[in-house]
Amino acid sequence: MSAGESDITRSLADVTPGAIADALASDGLWLDLGAVTLNVRSDSPVLAVQLKAVYGHYPFIDKADWADAHIRIMQARGLRRWMRPQVVFYCDGRLAFDPFPADSPLPLLEWGANWLVAQRLNDLLLLHAGAVERDGFALLLPAIPGSGKSTLTAALSQRGWRLLSDEFGAFDPAAGVFRAMLKPVALKNASIEVIKDFTPDAVFGPVFPKTRKGRVAHLAASKVSVQRRHDTARPGAVVLPKWQAGSPTRWEPLAEHVLFPALSFNAFNYNLLGEAGFRAAIALVRQCPGWQLIYSDLDDALATINAAWPGIVERHAQVEAS
Amino acid sequence: MSTSSTSPPAHLLWLQALRTPEQTLLWTLADWERVVRLARRLRLLARLAESLAAAGMIDEVPAQPRRHLVSEQRLSHWRTTAMVWVLERVAITLAAGNYPLVLLKGSAYIGQNLPIAAGRLPSDVDLLVPKAHIAEAQSRLRAAGWLEAELDEHDQRYYHEWSHEVPPMTHPVHTMELDLHHNIQPPVARMRVDADVLLQRLAPSKWAAWQVLAPIDQVLHSAVHLFQDSELRDRLRDLVDLDGLMRHFSAHDPRFWVDLPARAAALGLSEPLALACHFCHQWLQTPVPANTLVEIEATGPGRLKRAWLLPLLAQVLTPTEPDSDPSAMQGVAAALLLARHHYGRMPLRLLIPHTWHKMQPPKMATELLDKP
Repeated sequence: MSAGESDITRSLADVTPGAIADALASDGLWLDLGAVTLNVRSDSPVLAVQLKAVYGHYPFIDKADWADAHIRIMQARGLRRWMRPQVVFYCDGRLAFDPFPADSPLPLLEWGANWLVAQRLNDLLLLHAGAVERDGFALLLPAIPGSGKSTLTAALSQRGWRLLSDEFGAFDPAAGVFRAMLKPVALKNASIEVIKDFTPDAVFGPVFPKTRKGRVAHLAASKVSVQRRHDTARPGAVVLPKWQAGSPTRWEPLAEHVLFPALSFNAFNYNLLGEAGFRAAIALVRQCPGWQLIYSDLDDALATINAAWPGIVERHAQVEAS
Repeated sequence: MSTSSTSPPAHLLWLQALRTPEQTLLWTLADWERVVRLARRLRLLARLAESLAAAGMIDEVPAQPRRHLVSEQRLSHWRTTAMVWVLERVAITLAAGNYPLVLLKGSAYIGQNLPIAAGRLPSDVDLLVPKAHIAEAQSRLRAAGWLEAELDEHDQRYYHEWSHEVPPMTHPVHTMELDLHHNIQPPVARMRVDADVLLQRLAPSKWAAWQVLAPIDQVLHSAVHLFQDSELRDRLRDLVDLDGLMRHFSAHDPRFWVDLPARAAALGLSEPLALACHFCHQWLQTPVPANTLVEIEATGPGRLKRAWLLPLLAQVLTPTEPDSDPSAMQGVAAALLLARHHYGRMPLRLLIPHTWHKMQPPKMATELLDKP
């Protein structure tokens, strides 16, 4: 971004909702997520407050010369202005997606922005995975259906791990590193209470009771993860989480032939990248040891990961030294 | 049609970078941002990437737009590979039939390695077989796993009697839709085309199993496809295709500009050719010789029709800027051209019941992508 980000830059938390609303209504608000920058415009009277709640630590940028995706969240016109009002999503002047209720512009923005990112960034291998960082190495939590990767990613991000993304393991094959695609963590249904109980001081946006994916609330990224969103992370390890009611914590190593499909086959653009995607996925599997983590107790699951982590970092250091 | 002025409208100047990518060296980041947004929507971003890559200039593009050019170029390569794979498989499926297999539009351009084949984003495969063999071809494709959408009685009749293609087919393994045609225009259209005349002049493609229409017929098909279609908004890509076809074929055949108007007249396609030449010449500086332009103008729509049709087409073909809503004028123009399309596509005795049927609410809501 050309907009310089120094210590004196104001964050969204530092400005009034009115100032955010003014930006949304004129040239837009630039949200620099690390690997990608969004430009958001809107005439919604509630979006500014919702953004301030979950993007509070992001710099407030109301003028910049580049964005990778331009989004307008606009109130539906005509009859829809008055009867069950809605907001609609435009990208580059074209309508996209079904509208959302007028009080839910944030879930529409979050969902639509993820979709656009998944479509557009084929310079990266976009794994469908939660990603956190510690000691310079990335820990990936691939999104196997029902795995609860968002819950575990959120929990890690509240206990000393730097959040990169709850949705995208954004691997840059040219540089061999992961990049942050830092947005609020979208938690669904029971996971909302799980994380609120886990860290009572976690910062949440409003709860949206009836979205297409059920009840949704967004967990704000921490200040340090926002400040460090341009820092990359080297491939570290892969954990396939599985929440199982009443189960003791089990930590079982996985073979490469299990890790490879877990990483590549639910990536957003693995097929599209062809040979480059295959080579990148193979490189990741060769570098990253992997485990299955079956758990019912979140604290115990985190303790297990934290206990294994120094050994993982040590192993990477040895490989680099040799 | 005016043959004097060939300076394109200022907001379309960026299109010249498709042929002369050196222009992009003068672009600011703000220029790039506008072009990336417009070109992506118009399906021309990968084309721009390919033309920069061919000139060895892609690394000179600022990093912010460059990643989007590279990204779209990868998408184009992937879709093109997927299309070529479909063509390989379908050629095997249809090999036993003793009739010509013809590539249309994008697949034909790729099958001839035309300059405009670079940077396409194919999403379906258009093929043509003689009408006498289309049922046989369909049943072979079904046996190979291609599926037809389930249609109600009206739509079945529409495809069977009034259309120039059979219902689109999909395959569980392939990402491309297959559109099987027996003509380039509906048999009930006002602008009817005799498919046998097209089939008499086929040309080879780079694949032994597949042929293509004669070069001039490819131009005419592209013109009729654009100017008789229902939706002309965001269709500049088709005009860029026409420009590329005419530039390429005229450079390889000295008789091209002489034969083009004559063939259009023989096929009854003088009007779409006149419209294509008008807009290509005015907006993309296609080097149509002056005497050819005069000749084409004389056989195209009359003065009165030109007076209302050209401004409407210009209004609708002009892309809306990324941050603007389409103007009210553009909406009206698009509606009028839609009416013209329907009027041209079938006689009123068919059109009125067909329109009534299409106005009924759809039976299934469109499923949106579920990821992420």
